[in-house]
Amino acid sequence: MLHALTEPFAQGLMQRALLEVLLLALVGGTLGCWIVLGELSYGAESLAHGMFPGLVLASLAGVPLLLGGAAGILVAALAVALAGQVGRGRIGRDDAVAVAVTTLFGAGALLALSPRTPVGIQGLLFGDVLSTTGADLLAGGALAAVVLLALRAAHWRLLAAGFDRDGARALGVPSLAVDVLLLGLVALAVLVAVQGLGNLLVVAVLVAPAAAARRLTQRLAPMMALAVLLGALAGVGGLYLSYYARVAAGASIAGLLVAAYLLARLGAAASSTRKGRAAAAG
Amino acid sequence: MLEPFQLPFVQRALVELLLLAVLAGTLGCWIVLRGLAFAAHGAAAAAFPGLVLADGLGFAATLGGFGAALLFALAVGRLGARRDRDHGGGDGTLTALVLVAALATGIVLASDVFHSPASVESLLFGSLLAIGAGDVRLAAAAALVALAATWLLGTRWLATGFDPQAARALGVRSRVPDTLLLVLVALAAVAVLAAVGALLATALLVVPAATARLLSDRVGAWQLATVALAAAEGALGVWLAVELNAPPGATVAVVAGAVFALVALLPRAREAAA
Amino acid sequence: MSALVAASDLAVSYGGGEPALAGVGFDLRPGERIAVLGPNGGGKTTLFRALLGELRPAAGTLRVAGRCASVPQTERSRLDFPVSALDVALMGTIPGRAWWRRPSRADRAAARAALARVDLADRAARTYGELSGGQRQRVLIARALVQDAEVLLLDEPFTGLDATSAARLEALLAELAGEGRGVLIATHDLEQARRWDRVLCVNGRQIAFGVPAATLTHDVLAATYGGAIVTLPPAHAGAPGPQEAILPPHHHHH
Repeated sequence: MLHALTEPFAQGLMQRALLEVLLLALVGGTLGCWIVLGELSYGAESLAHGMFPGLVLASLAGVPLLLGGAAGILVAALAVALAGQVGRGRIGRDDAVAVAVTTLFGAGALLALSPRTPVGIQGLLFGDVLSTTGADLLAGGALAAVVLLALRAAHWRLLAAGFDRDGARALGVPSLAVDVLLLGLVALAVLVAVQGLGNLLVVAVLVAPAAAARRLTQRLAPMMALAVLLGALAGVGGLYLSYYARVAAGASIAGLLVAAYLLARLGAAASSTRKGRAAAAG
Repeated sequence: MLEPFQLPFVQRALVELLLLAVLAGTLGCWIVLRGLAFAAHGAAAAAFPGLVLADGLGFAATLGGFGAALLFALAVGRLGARRDRDHGGGDGTLTALVLVAALATGIVLASDVFHSPASVESLLFGSLLAIGAGDVRLAAAAALVALAATWLLGTRWLATGFDPQAARALGVRSRVPDTLLLVLVALAAVAVLAAVGALLATALLVVPAATARLLSDRVGAWQLATVALAAAEGALGVWLAVELNAPPGATVAVVAGAVFALVALLPRAREAAA
Repeated sequence: MSALVAASDLAVSYGGGEPALAGVGFDLRPGERIAVLGPNGGGKTTLFRALLGELRPAAGTLRVAGRCASVPQTERSRLDFPVSALDVALMGTIPGRAWWRRPSRADRAAARAALARVDLADRAARTYGELSGGQRQRVLIARALVQDAEVLLLDEPFTGLDATSAARLEALLAELAGEGRGVLIATHDLEQARRWDRVLCVNGRQIAFGVPAATLTHDVLAATYGGAIVTLPPAHAGAPGPQEAILPPHHHHH
């Protein structure tokens, strides 16, 4: 039994993958709480999807994915903001996001699939946590440290701005600056996670653990701890699944993350129904 | 320049895209009007594992895709209507995560269970060669259903979209028509899938309607403009796909996005946005 | 004693446009409670934002001697937010701290003391959204007290409170005024306004300022609220004369 648990991690490849998923759990669980509380799920997902052409170009040019991803995210954020400006009052914010993301995604697919030697598009879309290199870990760790330090420093300002914007402004907390900081950190976190999960599945680690923890606790500190724990469990579980059942690691991790969220949601719904019945009108 | 259109499979793709333009023109406007862009995207993504499963197990692919898309559209639509904001992490979170789960399931089924990774790219981004006679028939049927439903229910969808509370006060019962709209979105998501793929369904279902909306203020004119726009973008997309040897979903998406950007620069659209 | 707040011929505008509020002249003395009466969009919030230093006077002078703190409506805050009453009170320590620092032991003690001051010491660990409306209002007052505010700006604090909670809040405001603080209360409730020390009526400009009995005349109210004012017959046979009431304002929550 013990052997079955330790065996997969005897190889360097799996050890690096393990470190990578723990890194993702740490960043995703903490930042994810602010994403969920700030209702930024759709924004995080659009940023992740919109960066696709950047990833493809980086992979065609042979430069690190991180660079292409960073450029791609900037372009995506700009495109979403511009489309929203143009359509204001006529098409909804979601439609504007859909227009921008669809176009960028199409451009990425065009770049990836039309050349004589297409790039490995599936790795970009669905990630390849097993090919994490030492350099990836180092870069990811540095970015993760930036995110965590920023979250720690800005904690009370994020809390005040999320709680009520007007009240925060009266406390000298500019909510616009807080929003920009949060989106910037989301962009960094997407960059950390894209290597492992690909740009289609990245949103799972940024949203699912925190959304699940949100259903299970009423306080921020335990919510973050629980989210990190859930993320780590799903990450490690996904690695075991991929090792023993030979299924794609990124997809297994994403699947487990979403399953955890759905379970938490069902559990919370069931318990609130019970409570609701018990309290009748309360 | 028109040479590619003499090839039979390109002709079939063109017919498919023109039929889908009718579907996109009528239904796309309702999707934009009712804020269902994310749901349409999710339904198409949900159809992806359904198609892989149907393909692997050997039953009608359309059925598998439609089943999955329908499940998604109804679940998200129902929960979206409830808008459980009190508990945080409302429908945006749910939609995003179910979408991720669908994609993860699809990729695992395709590459690890049925070992058909080659079909993944065509399912995600569409393929000219994958469009069969059955797909054309499906597109025609979906377009007809969308036209009929618009003729029957258009005024209700409009009233509910304009102001849900007032519509209720007017006695417009919106539950059944709204559910029907979600079913149609699922149907449309499956119908466009062969041509533009699960990830780029919005290139037909949302972008042309959003573009035309920048220029028109009446629903009828908006829908006609959207049909024309989607037809033109679809034809150009097919031609580009042949020339560049790229999936048609990618070319249609890029063309549609470029047209949106051009229209947004027109003085009239700028005026309207100001 | 010198005034905590003194405004004369004050005008405030957003981004240099037409003033949202003009011709304001009043003073707030220590220990005084002033009602700010006016319709939605009449300039109450604008005045508060000017007092908080968020908006600069476009004309006239505004002198604020003490620190101002705002007590917003409880429904403006997110009730689903995972914070305790203590967390909310601790937000009051943000202005006094460098941005990278976390709350110190002294900050926590100050927050607990403020909660005790509003009689909620035993609720410090409770989730904010689960408290009653009156308790939430007092938590927000505690947050203002943590800032050592000499001037409290309350935005319709009595909205949605039951009679017991309202009486309790009123007693708390009297105590805070008794400590020498100045209190400004934005309100729609004419009955409440009559009980404060002075009343300031605004509707895009200052309509009147003075003690309630002399200030709240029919003409002033008509100018303040436009047509949305009705005269009620005496409530019962022995009641003194007809009473004025303001039609409930239309709130738009989204």
